[in-house]
Amino acid sequence: MSLVKDLTNGIYRENPIFKLALGMCPFLAVTTSVENAIGMGAAATFVLICSNFLVSLLRNLIPSKVRIPCYIVIIATFVTLVDMIMNAYVPDLHRALGIFIPLIVVNCIILGRAEGFANRHPVLNSVADAVGMGIGFTLAMILLASFRELLGNGTWLNINVLGPGYRNQPLLIAILAPGAFILLGFILGFFNILEKRRGGGQR
Amino acid sequence: MAEMLKLGLILMLVALAAAVALGLVNSRTAPIIALQKEMEKQNAMREVAMSLSPGDSLAFDSISVEGLGNPFASVDNTLEIVRVSVPPDTSRIGYLFIAYGKGYSSTIQTMVAADLTGSVSSSAILYQQETPGLGANVAAPSKLIENYSGRSAEGILLSKDGGGIDAITGCTITSRAVTNSVREGLLAMGDAGLFRTAPVIAEEIPAHQDSCDSEEGAVVSVDGPAGEGGME
Repeated sequence: MSLVKDLTNGIYRENPIFKLALGMCPFLAVTTSVENAIGMGAAATFVLICSNFLVSLLRNLIPSKVRIPCYIVIIATFVTLVDMIMNAYVPDLHRALGIFIPLIVVNCIILGRAEGFANRHPVLNSVADAVGMGIGFTLAMILLASFRELLGNGTWLNINVLGPGYRNQPLLIAILAPGAFILLGFILGFFNILEKRRGGGQR
Repeated sequence: MAEMLKLGLILMLVALAAAVALGLVNSRTAPIIALQKEMEKQNAMREVAMSLSPGDSLAFDSISVEGLGNPFASVDNTLEIVRVSVPPDTSRIGYLFIAYGKGYSSTIQTMVAADLTGSVSSSAILYQQETPGLGANVAAPSKLIENYSGRSAEGILLSKDGGGIDAITGCTITSRAVTNSVREGLLAMGDAGLFRTAPVIAEEIPAHQDSCDSEEGAVVSVDGPAGEGGME
């Protein structure tokens, strides 16, 4: 029962982007197209699951005074391992996702969940939390990337939506860095309104 | 004190386990990765060189030209140049080289095929780690590098710098890095006397309508992007 709750927690109620405001750097940098958003989401989810699993497994062995350096070593090791293994055995996937893998190291969702959840919960719950957070992160990225790709390039997942007339003069700012901040502001505002309508006062 | 030692020991153990895991995996994967890189390079060479002589099977032999300095070149600061020929005939039909350009977040490697007059016949991005969705678009065909074809060193310059190549919108740094590295490479090869005639602008321009004169490029560069946008 609590397993399901841990799983769904990250998708909406504690969505890493919209509610916890974690992992903003890769979120803003990579959401220029839906394809990139899905790639980054998948790669980050994978590392998140691995690191949550290991941190939860070792939570009683690692003294709390040195836990942060230990987590950093674990996460960095996983990211490097994933990078090397993908490069050797699935080069096509690596070519598509390769640019995102170094970015995962600086994704604070992973350290945040290791510190905030996995080191206090059993292995199964930690993995469920990682899956939920990963899905929540991916969905949030797809949402922002949809707006940015549609407005900035006239396409969605590389499918031409708005036609050549729009694509010649797109709203280019949407795909540039300022557009990411502006659109993120709108989306956060929208979620806050939604929250207030729902009864609010939760805080 | 004992507490400190214990903590240090635990940290060391964690780091040791990580190092062992990384070392093991690296020793397994490094040869495979190197092999794939080499195969990829060979494929890229064949693909890019194809434009020099379509339909023929080509032979490659590396040549090293001493002192061929290139500010963007690889570690040893010499240009890697490969001579291309059609097998029974050993005379060269052109050159391949890899241009290294320092971009926004990576050193971009571009493989370029040039014919004997020093005009580019084809090029491809071998490696880049630029911003996804922006600079990474250099690797998308037709965005930037296809515009080099048919131009010699003098024509390969961004519109903003007075040439006729339009930068990818929003990624001038990346576009400039690639364009300049290709030009520097061609210029260095020309200086070393590898091209039959010194690349002359007047010879190259009439065959390609889309490349406006380099000298006038700066003046008409305002019309340039709009004109090309309309064509696409």
